[in-house]
Order: sequence, then C-alpha cells, then structure tokens
Amino acid sequence: MSTEKLEQLMKGLTDNQTSHGVSLSVEMFDADDKVACIKLEDREEFPIYMTVDEGQILCISYLFGDEQVDPDKRTAMVEAMLMMNVSIPLSAFSKIGDQYIMFGALSPKASIDELLHEIELLSDNVLEAIEAVSDYLKEAA
Amino acid sequence: MGIFNKLLTAVRGGATEVGEAIVDSQSIRILEQEIRDSKKALNDAKTGLTSIMAEKMGVDRKVKDLGEKIKEHEGYAIQAMDKGDENLALEIATKIAEFEHELSIQQGIRDGYDTKAVSLKKMIRQSERNIQAMDREVSVVKTTAKVQKANDLASAKFSGSNSSLNSATDSLERIKARQQKREDQAAAAMELHSDESGDDLQAKLKNAGIVDSGSSGSSILDRLKKQKGQS
Repeated sequence: MSTEKLEQLMKGLTDNQTSHGVSLSVEMFDADDKVACIKLEDREEFPIYMTVDEGQILCISYLFGDEQVDPDKRTAMVEAMLMMNVSIPLSAFSKIGDQYIMFGALSPKASIDELLHEIELLSDNVLEAIEAVSDYLKEAA
Repeated sequence: MGIFNKLLTAVRGGATEVGEAIVDSQSIRILEQEIRDSKKALNDAKTGLTSIMAEKMGVDRKVKDLGEKIKEHEGYAIQAMDKGDENLALEIATKIAEFEHELSIQQGIRDGYDTKAVSLKKMIRQSERNIQAMDREVSVVKTTAKVQKANDLASAKFSGSNSSLNSATDSLERIKARQQKREDQAAAAMELHSDESGDDLQAKLKNAGIVDSGSSGSSILDRLKKQKGQS
C-alpha cells in the first residue's frame, strides 16, 4: 500500500500517545520497503516494526536469533512457544529466517486507539515472552 | 500447490541454505519470480473479465431486443386475428417462434458468460490474496535482513563487537533495571512529598498518642450522651 497510509498511521501514533498514556518515538525505518520503527520509552531494546498493506497492519518485534538458543533445548522451546501462542493476547510467536519474532496484525481499518493498544500489548508480551523462554536460551556470555 | 505450501517451501528453502542470507536465497528469488508471474496472470484474468463483460453486454442487448420484438409481434398477431386474417396471424406466429428460439439460444450464451464472469472474479480475488501473501512474505524477510544489519551496526558502535549487547535476556535485564529505577524514583518522590506536606509528622504524633488516632463508635456515643446531658 502507499507510503501515505503508513505516514498517516505514524502521525496518528505520535499525536495520540499521550492521551493513551504511553510514551513512544516513531520514525521511518525503511522508506523503500515502507517500514516504520516504534520505540517505547525505556524499552528501546525491543523496537516494534510496523508495515501496512491492503490486507493488514503488521507489527513485529524481534526477540532473538537462533544463535542465542541452547541447541539441546530448541525443540522444547519451539513447542513451548506453539503452546503459549493461543493464550497470549493479540500477539503470536513466529520465525523469520533465523530470527524468532513476536507479531500482531490488525485490519487496515483499525483505529489509532486500537493500534496503540496493540503496540503496547505487543511490547508487554515481548518482555513476558523473553522472560518465559529464557530457560531455553544460552547463558549470557 | 496451495499458497501456504508455497510460502513454507520458500522459508524452508531460505532457512536451509546455510551461509546464505535468507533474503538472497534461491527460494526467495523463486518467490519473487512467482509474484511477477502471478501479477501477470492476474492482469490477464482482469483483461479476460473485461472482454467477457463487454460481450455479455452485447448479448444482453440482443436478449432485450428479442423480448421487445416478440411482444411487438404478439400485438401484430392479435390484430391479424381480430381482422380474421388467420393466414397472416399464422405467419406472424411462426416468426414469433423463430424469435423465441433465438431468444433461448442467446439466454443460454448469457448464462454461460455469467458463470464464466463469476468464476473469473473468484479467481481474481484468490490470486490477489495470494500475491498479497507472497508480497508480505518477501517484504517481511527483507525487513528482517535490514533490521539485523541495523542491530549489528548499533551493537558494533556500542561495544566494538556484537556479542553481549545482542542477547535478549541481557536486554530484558536492562529494561527491568530501568523500570525498577523509575519505580524507586517515583517512590522516593512520593515519600519526599508526604514529608513536605506534614503527613509524616502527623503519623508520628498519632503513633505517640499525642494526637487522637481517630474516633471510634463508642467515643462518639459518649460525646453525644454528654451533649444530651448538658441540654
């Protein structure tokens, strides 16, 4: 979809964040592929990347790469993620290339309020998820 | 092959090609080619639909004309019968039969076009959805590659290497520490505020029994009894 729709969403997020009680920064991450980067205050380590097309608004946060997973616990972790998927509100686990991600998708007709809610919840879910699967990850060097 | 299968093949292929970034992988290139092919097929289908619609409109006109002609000739036949001209009436009726025959042929053609248009429209919707799904897949993969690149750059800037800064659990710990600090600060600020507003002194006075620590039911009843006795 057009860049205008993405820019419109970015502006909406910037303008409405305070009334929603969150503090975030929104910037264009990649103008070619039309990706925005959203950083919630104090959670800059896990930015949320947003794209929009005719079918959906997609919000993705990258959790960790394969190299951080304990190889012996990989299958168990993937199964745990699958089982957690249903009970996580509005977000789900997935994998792109070698990156584990968490994502949420909305209708392109969703309101800014709904989008803000989605982003906030996704960010909460990401922190919860990493906490939950940290046992499957390699010990930090 | 179904669209989900296609996407799965693409991401699987990308993930198994060791040492090659998924975005450059053969399977993503295949997917991109598939998108181009599907878009072309979609355009062809749309062109096909347009010409079918145009032809159907032509047939619609014929059907309408025939209907009008039948009505018109029915009028003529009645007039001929009214005049007692049976032969003419029969001739007209034969003409009507020809029109009706032609009408049923044209209606058959129109129904055929309708069916074709419906199935083409369905196909167009389906392939539009498929193209969207494939487009999304490719753009998500490309975005991921760019995000990783940006992350690597950022961590190299910070630590000179991309080791510990990238660890998800470390990041989580940092976030938690910042959150805790914020909460501590807020708690400290509240404490300071309650000190300033004298809440603290009041609490101490109450604790020491210097200030009444609040009235109880019985103390109020005593007070009321006293008031009554005075009046």
